[in-house]
Amino acid sequence: MGRVALALVVHELLERTRDRWVMVISVLFALLASAVTLYGRQSGAEGAASALTGPSLVTLASLLVPLVALVLSHDAIVGERERNTLGLLMSLPVRRWEVVAAKFVGRGLALGLAVGVGIGASVALGGEGERGVLLSLLWPTLLLGLAFLAIGLLISTVTTRQVTAASLVVVVWFLLVLFYDLGLLGLLVLTDGSVSQDTIAALVLANPAGLYRMQMMEALTGPEVLQGLGMTVSLPGTVGSIGMWLGWILGPVVCSGLVLSARKVVQ
Amino acid sequence: MKRVVLRDVSVRFGKVAALTSMSTTVSSGEIVMLVGPNGAGKSTFMRVLLGLVRPERGELEIDGAVVRVDNAFKARLGYLPEAVAFSDNLSGEQVLRFFAMARGVSRARVGEVLSRVGLAQASRRRVGGYSRGMRQRLGLGVAILSEPELLILDEPTGGLDQEGLVVLYSVLNEWRDKGRMVLMATHDIAMLERRVDRMCVFRSGCLVADGSPSTLRREAGLPLKVTMTLASGGGAEVEAFVAAIGEWEGGSGEVRDGALHAEVASGELLGLMDLRGRHVGAVVDLRVEEPTLDVVYEKLLAEG
Repeated sequence: MGRVALALVVHELLERTRDRWVMVISVLFALLASAVTLYGRQSGAEGAASALTGPSLVTLASLLVPLVALVLSHDAIVGERERNTLGLLMSLPVRRWEVVAAKFVGRGLALGLAVGVGIGASVALGGEGERGVLLSLLWPTLLLGLAFLAIGLLISTVTTRQVTAASLVVVVWFLLVLFYDLGLLGLLVLTDGSVSQDTIAALVLANPAGLYRMQMMEALTGPEVLQGLGMTVSLPGTVGSIGMWLGWILGPVVCSGLVLSARKVVQ
Repeated sequence: MKRVVLRDVSVRFGKVAALTSMSTTVSSGEIVMLVGPNGAGKSTFMRVLLGLVRPERGELEIDGAVVRVDNAFKARLGYLPEAVAFSDNLSGEQVLRFFAMARGVSRARVGEVLSRVGLAQASRRRVGGYSRGMRQRLGLGVAILSEPELLILDEPTGGLDQEGLVVLYSVLNEWRDKGRMVLMATHDIAMLERRVDRMCVFRSGCLVADGSPSTLRREAGLPLKVTMTLASGGGAEVEAFVAAIGEWEGGSGEVRDGALHAEVASGELLGLMDLRGRHVGAVVDLRVEEPTLDVVYEKLLAEG
């Protein structure tokens, strides 16, 4: 990564931390994470972190972190285009894919701050025995955020107006985060349960939010919970898991770089 | 960099030919103004130089050597896009600092540029609170930050107040004096005509005229406007002079508000002076106006 790209990383981080929407959602995440942790502590149950606080925090993160990530990334490219600064950026001695990569890294760092503050608040407020469990959520939650950040970046690259990009990321959030599981349930109902367990499990894992939830549930409460939910297919191993996350994160970023590099006109 | 040549550049957007075999040269110490109607290809031409548009055909030559629009070339350019609007969340100083970091320019230079474009007082304010003219001045600051050899300006006068125009004019003068180059697309011909060395007239992706203001004025063949203030009180000498003008074949004129207003072909000016010399005392003052460049532009555009 060259000098321009490194400057862009710093610039993006600075700019995003001043975005009021990012601030609002990040603060909301931190407040709700703190509330969940305090509630878990008050319950006083042994192993509350694994049984109560952790799963609640996972549910909260699976809803809010994708939203923070999509808000962070939806205007990365299209916003520059609307401000007439994309051409200015590309007129610097930098390759087009480097701009995409720098935007992703800079905004990824801003996302890391938001996730870090949220989980950090939870860790700080958690009980002695809970902190390790809560801290273990940090990395997977960041991966979830990066996957949605990458999706938002791709949307930002292929759209020509910021309002279109904003609408699309809201649709993506509703589809992948809010209604995905309901959609799968609907599929089971419509097909009268004829869809195989393998297919349903594959469809759950094909969504980064689903993958995150399943992995965290298994990590926090053990595989028997998934079996209780009817998930008889085991989750991918470490290598498979890393591959899936890399696919979700790098796939859209690489596509964004290719789309921007292939474009005949940048303005 | 002494000479930049873009040769035989063609760009198509689908079925539309945005540029057709366009060629032009910018030399050291030269300010070149690109003019033409909207969609004529001015901005596209500049974007080819910036690497923002990939042409179907054409080559770039610097000081006699054919080169690619690569990072080494782009490091020598400064660019002001049309109606640029930076991130509302950052201050003017932060915007400039980013570009300074990206171009390897010192922090001290950021302060210099902020003063140069008249934004030193507002440097800590968020760009979101800037007026359009202030944003334009900030854009100009970004363009000149690294003291580029070739400055490319797209509609640089947009939104500028008188103070901003003075800044722009001083930048143009400095670039000329230091032997650098400026290429700018504009619709404000009247505002910039005294500042440029060459004007390129674009129409439908083609170059219809290219030359210095004096050359283009000559090519356009428009008459000079001559205003001669007549001696007060009339008198026989004045009447004789007016009558002589009426019969003169080199041009035409009319008396209005105590002055004779004549339109004279540039080659006939000496004949008019000769006529005036034969009626000493009839004329007490004389003013000759060349056609303005925007009138020349309209004529060349219509003919081209």
